[in-house]
Amino acid sequence: MDLRLSGPELAFRDRLRAWLAETLPELPPRPDRDDWPGRRAYDTHWQRRLFDAGYAGADWPAEHGGLGASPTEQLIFLEETARARAPYVGANFVGLLHAGPTLIVEGAPAQRAAYLPRILRGEEIWCQGFSEPDAGSDLASLRTTAVRDGDHYVVSGRKLWTSHAEVADYCELLVRTDPAAPKHRGISWLILPMRAPGVQVRPLRTVVGSSEFGELILDDVRVPVVNRVGAENDGWRVAMVTFSFERGTAFIGDVIESRNLLAETVALAKAAPAPGGGVLWDDAALRRDVGRLAAEVSGLWSLTRKNVSEAAAGMVPVQGASVFKLRFTESRQRIGDLAGHVLGRAALFMDEVAGAGSARIVEDRVNTLSFTIAAGTSQIQRNILAERVLDLPREPRWT
Amino acid sequence: MDLNLSAMQRELRSGLRDYLADAWTPDRLRAAADAGRLGLKPWRELAGLGLFGLMLPEEDGGMGLAWADAVILFEELGRALVPGPLVATFLAGVPLLAAGAVPGTATGDAVVTAIDTRDAHAVLEYPADATHLVVAGDAGLFLLPPPPDAVAAARPLDPLTPVAPLAPGRVRPEAGERVGSAADAARWRRSGALLTAALQVGVGQGALDLAVRYAREREQFGRAIGSFQAVKHLLADALARVDLARAAVLVAALTLDDQGCGDPAEAVASAKVLADDAATANGRTGVQVHGGMGFTWEVLAHLYLKRAWLHETAYGTAGEHALALAETL
Repeated sequence: MDLRLSGPELAFRDRLRAWLAETLPELPPRPDRDDWPGRRAYDTHWQRRLFDAGYAGADWPAEHGGLGASPTEQLIFLEETARARAPYVGANFVGLLHAGPTLIVEGAPAQRAAYLPRILRGEEIWCQGFSEPDAGSDLASLRTTAVRDGDHYVVSGRKLWTSHAEVADYCELLVRTDPAAPKHRGISWLILPMRAPGVQVRPLRTVVGSSEFGELILDDVRVPVVNRVGAENDGWRVAMVTFSFERGTAFIGDVIESRNLLAETVALAKAAPAPGGGVLWDDAALRRDVGRLAAEVSGLWSLTRKNVSEAAAGMVPVQGASVFKLRFTESRQRIGDLAGHVLGRAALFMDEVAGAGSARIVEDRVNTLSFTIAAGTSQIQRNILAERVLDLPREPRWT
Repeated sequence: MDLNLSAMQRELRSGLRDYLADAWTPDRLRAAADAGRLGLKPWRELAGLGLFGLMLPEEDGGMGLAWADAVILFEELGRALVPGPLVATFLAGVPLLAAGAVPGTATGDAVVTAIDTRDAHAVLEYPADATHLVVAGDAGLFLLPPPPDAVAAARPLDPLTPVAPLAPGRVRPEAGERVGSAADAARWRRSGALLTAALQVGVGQGALDLAVRYAREREQFGRAIGSFQAVKHLLADALARVDLARAAVLVAALTLDDQGCGDPAEAVASAKVLADDAATANGRTGVQVHGGMGFTWEVLAHLYLKRAWLHETAYGTAGEHALALAETL
């Protein structure tokens, strides 16, 4: 048991640091939040730079073109890129962290050959078509139908919360192929080409005010049967494979960012005049709140390292991943609230009029409302912990 | 980097866990709660297992182990609600005192209790059983005989931890032997906070275990109450608290073992904040999940909460550690 990085791990870190220091200043300015073509171009350019430097797909096996990094090296990759404030995975998220890893495990050889290299090179963007208006936490009740017609499926239905839908080339799509079967048994996992006739994307405006994701309307879209991943009606199991990637490492960089945000909040509080004279930072209650959140962030980083150690030993940190998701998302919201309180009425602007660079903090506070909802709500995480870890009886389920 | 328990650590843990399951049954805990004194037999048994010499070098009769090993065992002690001034006696037995270990710690003949001059209310734990008193102050560490006339209060909050109030000025550290410098006193406080945090992780886990067992068995409305989300979410939150605190304690211990790996002050303060929260909130959850039975003396749920309330006052409160952490940002 130890905290030290090995010699090869330190060498990996130092090489990466040097590359980041050299590469990041060369990147173009970040596009506006609502400029989707610009965001796609920026994110795919970054992915291409990673690819050219040999860093694409840190968690992908080398035989599929990835870096084949160990869990500890993946942690180093995410930590260092976050510390250097490198671009986030962005529009490449679904391809790199969902669809790609799912194809690696479940895809046919021809599917892997067709899609994986283009994801790694940043040539193609994927989006996710899982949730529906009436199938959120109860995902298995999804209703989008796929009816077999020769060597095609004819797909109709609606999908929601489809991130990057406007610029995506493909969609990982869950459809119902057997309406008569019990709900978990009649689902299939399809690769939907977004340019197929009958696919319509309607942007959804979020509480941040921008269109971070959209609604997908599918009207008799013909999808080749060869685009099915896994067996017909076995899509629920394939989706569970997809989710197992989602809950692993998606938030590691955000822990680093939490610490930065907390430090920024402290800097603001040290500069903000207090009503009775002095500065806000003189208030011991505020400092205690900050200190408690600092402990929380520190603990989350410790938990991350513990989860990575488990993964490195071949274990699947289900418990650790759910604990992390639950605590990280809630503490991130508390940090946002704290920063909001420190800003006072300067927190009323999501644009840069109040000075002190507070717009990003305010926007972040609003944006983190999604954290406890996306990728399994906090309530679902609690069910997972209670039922799968504590072995408490399941809630009765109606099918 | 590897935070998984080694085979040796798992063996150590299961050995102690098995012993404690026999030695500290619910009936034994209830009896000890009524006795109001530390039983010397179980104390010597713990010493006999090598607990207090864990970190002494092997050539001095110890096991040559590290803080990372100590916190794994202290979690078990907390989980089993083992009474006694475990932290102070352990610290007095490892090479933390410049003057050397307090004699008798390894054998269980010494019962070392401690006070900190920073505490607004000086309270002596185990007044009738303590053989030595360590005073941690900003000027250093001092070793004294415990005040002979300190009498345990009739109704201690934690029934298993007898306590005596000490009048201001009742203990004069400089009358004792100076056994450590100011830097040693700082290390004493830090190590004490770490071990107390480890105990708290155990207390939080023990409270959770008891509540989970009850929630699986207790039926209302024709179903086990643990099937209701209102109850299972309380327990899931308790699990999350204790898991997070355990990771923090482990990393803090490793940081003390190998100080090139991080800032021990930051790591220990974080661990104490999270572990105090895990123990006190889980203690409360444990009482709540037991419903009316949780308010009875008979059910052990209250003992976890009361122990958590005891430990949260020791080696720096969560609030004090949080203030220190805020200064590092």
